[in-house]
This record gives sequence, C-alpha cells and structure tokens, in this order.
Amino acid sequence: MIRKLLLLCLILAFTFSCAQRKVSSPAGGALEEGASAVAPGKEEKEIGATKEIGEEEVARIETAEIEEPKSAVLTEKEREEILKDIHFDFDKYNIKDEDKPTLRRVADWMLQNPNVRLIIEGHCDERGTNEYNLGLGDRRATSTKDYLVSLGVPESRLQTVSYGEERPLCTEHNEDCWAKNRRAHFVVIEGE
Amino acid sequence: MKRGFVILTVLFLFLFPQVSSGRMYIDITSPGFRAIPTAIYDLLGPEEAEEISAILRDDLEFSGVFYPVDRDAYIETPLPVFNPQNWTPLGVELVLKGSATVDADRIEVIVYLYDVVEARKILQRRYSAHKRHLIPLAHSIADDIYKTVTGEEGGFRTKIAFIGEKKGKRTIYLMDWNGRRLKSTGITAELLVSLHWSRDGKKLLYSSARGKQWGIYLADFQKRKELIIIRSTATNIAGDFFPDGERFLFSSSKAGTPDLYIYNMKKKKAERITWKRGIEISPTVSPDGRFIAFVSDHGGTPQIYVMGLDGKRPRRISFNSRYCTSPAWSPRGDRIAYTCMIGGKHQIFIVGTDGSDSVQLTDRGNNEDPSFSPNGRFITFTSDRDGYKRVYIMRANGEVQRPVSPKNMRAFGPEWSPNKVF
Repeated sequence: MIRKLLLLCLILAFTFSCAQRKVSSPAGGALEEGASAVAPGKEEKEIGATKEIGEEEVARIETAEIEEPKSAVLTEKEREEILKDIHFDFDKYNIKDEDKPTLRRVADWMLQNPNVRLIIEGHCDERGTNEYNLGLGDRRATSTKDYLVSLGVPESRLQTVSYGEERPLCTEHNEDCWAKNRRAHFVVIEGE
Repeated sequence: MKRGFVILTVLFLFLFPQVSSGRMYIDITSPGFRAIPTAIYDLLGPEEAEEISAILRDDLEFSGVFYPVDRDAYIETPLPVFNPQNWTPLGVELVLKGSATVDADRIEVIVYLYDVVEARKILQRRYSAHKRHLIPLAHSIADDIYKTVTGEEGGFRTKIAFIGEKKGKRTIYLMDWNGRRLKSTGITAELLVSLHWSRDGKKLLYSSARGKQWGIYLADFQKRKELIIIRSTATNIAGDFFPDGERFLFSSSKAGTPDLYIYNMKKKKAERITWKRGIEISPTVSPDGRFIAFVSDHGGTPQIYVMGLDGKRPRRISFNSRYCTSPAWSPRGDRIAYTCMIGGKHQIFIVGTDGSDSVQLTDRGNNEDPSFSPNGRFITFTSDRDGYKRVYIMRANGEVQRPVSPKNMRAFGPEWSPNKVF
C-alpha cells in the first residue's frame, strides 16, 4: 500500500517538476499537456463550457442644476475704477503693494454699500496644472478677502470662489496675457 | 498515523521544490523581458472574424507583451493543428489560431493558443456573444490570452472617463480604453474637474463649480443619479477612493487653506488629516489604503509628498523641478506618476514610492493628469502636443504614446476605470 503511494508520489513529482515551465494555464482550465501535434476535430469535446460575453449599457445621468447667484447692476465707474481686478506673480498669492490702494477703494465702497455682498474670484494663468491651480486660486481669493477684512469689511459679506485656470480673461499664450489672468476678480451680489 | 506522516513528508519533499522554483508565468517585469514573438492568425470565418482579429491583434500588440510576427512567416494552415518544429526555427514562441461563426445575431468564436517552447496548447476556449457585443467579445479573448501568458488581468475591457469641452460646456464622456465607442454620461456643467472611479466601477466622483460654489458630486451609474456629497463656499476637490469603497480623499479650504480630508460615505462625516498653512491638494491613495501621495507647497514650491493616513511625517518624493503636481499611485503599489514643469512645460514622470529612480516619460508639449490602468501597465494622460488638449495613452514605461479622444474635441482629465465597470 505504502509502496504504491510512494510510487504515485514519484510520478506526480515528475510530472510537475520535469518541465522548466515558463507558461501555464490559469487555474481551472483543464488543458492537456505535451501534445506536439493537435489534430482538428478532436477539440470539440475538450473545449468545455462556452464563455458568454455581454455588456451593460452606459446609463445617462441627469445633472443637478444649481442657479448662479444674481450679480448686482453696477455703474461704469464702479466697474472700471473701484472694483478693479488685482494681480499676482506666478505661483504666488501674496497681495502686492501696488494693489493695496485698489483694495482700500473696494473696502470703502463695501462699507458705503451695506446691502451688497462681494464674491471674490481667484484666477490663475494656464501654465500650472489644473487642480493645483484651483488651490492657488483659492489662496489668492482668500488672501484678498483677508486683506479686505483687515480694512474693516465684515467677513460675513465676503465669499470666495476659485476658478483656477478654468476661466481665463485673455486666451493668448504669452506673458502679457498670463499676467492679466493671474487675478482676483470682484462680483457684487444683491442682498445680505 | 505514522505512515500518514511519512507519506506527507515524501509528498512535500517532491512537490515543494517544484512550487518554489517552477515559475508559473512569464515575468514581464524582468529587466530582460522582450515582447514575445507571436503568430496571430486571423480568425477563420465571415467579416466579423476579421473585425475581431483586428481588435485582438491591436490589444495584444499595444500591451507590449506580444510582438506580432510578420504574416509571411505563417507556415501552418490556419486550422487548429500545431507542430512546434514549424515555429522554432522562426523564433516564434506563441501561436494563436481560431475561428468565428455567425448565426443570425449570435457570434461564436473558438480560440487556441499554442506555446512553441513548451510544445503544447496553453489555452482553448469557446465564446458566444450577441453581434452588438463584438467589441467586448474581442477584448475578452485578448484578456484571456494576456492572463494565460502573464498571470495578470489584461484590462482590455476597461474604459477611460474624461472631460470634454464644447461651446463652454463640459461633459463627462466614457470611451473604451483605446478610444472607441465614445459615449456621453449626460453629466454636463460649466466647470467639471477631477474624476475618480469607485473601486467597483459603478460610480464616478468629481468636482463641479455650480452657483459659484465647489461641490463634490457622485454619479451612480446603476441608480442613474447624480448625488451631491459636499457643497460649500470652500474649494472642495475630489480625490481617490479608498479600497474599502466607503471612504474617499478630498481637499477642502473650509478651514482656511486647502487641506486634506477623508470622507466616510456611510457615516457622512469628514475627518481632517493635514493642518498646514499652505496648499494641500490632489491626494491619491496607495492600493493597500495605508499611504497617501499628495501635493503641498509648504516647502515654498508645489511638490509631491507621501505620508500615512494620520497625516504625520510627510516625505518629499519629487526632486525634478520647482513645480511638481498631479500624483497618481500605480495599482501595482510600487510607483507613483506625477508631472513636473521642465523648461516651462509639464512632463510626466514615474518614480518609486520612496522617491528613487525617477524617469521622465514624455517630452512633447504639455503632458498632465496621469492615471494608471488597473493592472498598472498603462497610463492615460492629457497632452497638448498637437495644438489642443487631448487624451492619450501609453505604456507605463513611456512607449507607444497615442491619442485616443476624438479629433478636434478639447479633452482632458482622463481617469482609467477599474477592470469592471457599471
């Protein structure tokens, strides 16, 4: 009995270890070994179960709509002279000295018009990568907001949004254009 | 009892060395690996057979594992007969044959894969599909062939999700990984960014700015619904799902500056994991769910860091330039792809998770947004090398870079799906 088992072990060991195998079948596929020439017609019985291939259709999904807040009507003077964009250096979000007078005017105007809220948009040029630029735009909008708060504008009347490089003002690919796009932009919203 | 022990010992002595030394599959990661010269016969049968053959051949060739030898060298009949001696002198190592039959709206295919070195058949399988599923049928065959030879998933039925732009509106599109069968998901908004598949391929997470607020949204392909997960006046940008499928990473500036958080969808709660003053964004998770790679500018310039889930001891891994962003962790676990600005243009790099062996993979135009295929062998990315942003694919070593999104459509932000979708 034991001899028979040992013999079986030997045979098993040989069948498994003789071949320096480089390739083998995936688990479950019962495939024959060692056939050097396989005749047609013989296969049919060995192929086994047919693999059925199907595919689910792509479902269409409705997008939830959210209304944009209504921006206030401003005079030309307000748009062109007071609520002017301020600008930033590449990959920077500190407020530049040259923009501080602009922010002073924005703060004064906010204090004179207590019934409006201000949305500060942070923008970047196209040279960075999209997602990082959303972070950078966020920092630009926030440092602008912090500066306005330091000038006395209540924080509750200020909101920020980053558009990264997604909404360029200027679409040419040169430094003039990039400089214009690295900006904080002001949008005035009616009401508290 | 004692006899049984002796028998077991003998069995182990004979079998164990075989298990440890006999290699099951061809190791395609070994440095000396070269594509396997393969005779890929066109399937016998009607025109559908030709179509399937073309897809099969392209899948196998793009994988870089198979090298289709010139058809002139095919000396055997296309019938399923095989004599290794015919092929050895030609250096051909694998032979693929098969046939297709079409009956009304059904296609049946039988394929045979022979190994010349082993002198045996290593795969034979019969497939059946509706005619409208000819493409997934062909990809399934390629998957089985790839797996038989390498032991890995081929992923030829995977999809790439990306953002396409038309007339100022962005839409999330899906296409086969090779660019065929483009379909809109219907998800459209002015601003859409940062797509991330759920691990089961049934959902897609992304960020969208609507009504001047950034929200993180979840498209559920089974319920056919878009759900709002997080929406506030902060910059909320979606990151990777964890392997458990319940939690995902995101970046939010709700505490002042963009920091990283883990959102648990079951508990509907966010847990903050970074507390720095600068920008922390673009988190990607390791396949075991234990580590995070992300972008931080706390050292003065944006760079890639790796840290544990507790947010402690971040370690910098990018040292290529003063601007490195967009990390993506390979599903194989051992590599991270990211982009760095080199000479004013973004290029894709791949690096060990400890920052070693950094290799530049692209060099034409700007190349951004890398995302790995589920087997980690391929990368999809955005490139503007031909004048406008378009989705490309390449092997993870940078070989065979080719555009896959439609011509003349501004397309970006590609994200390779898991092996199963929907």
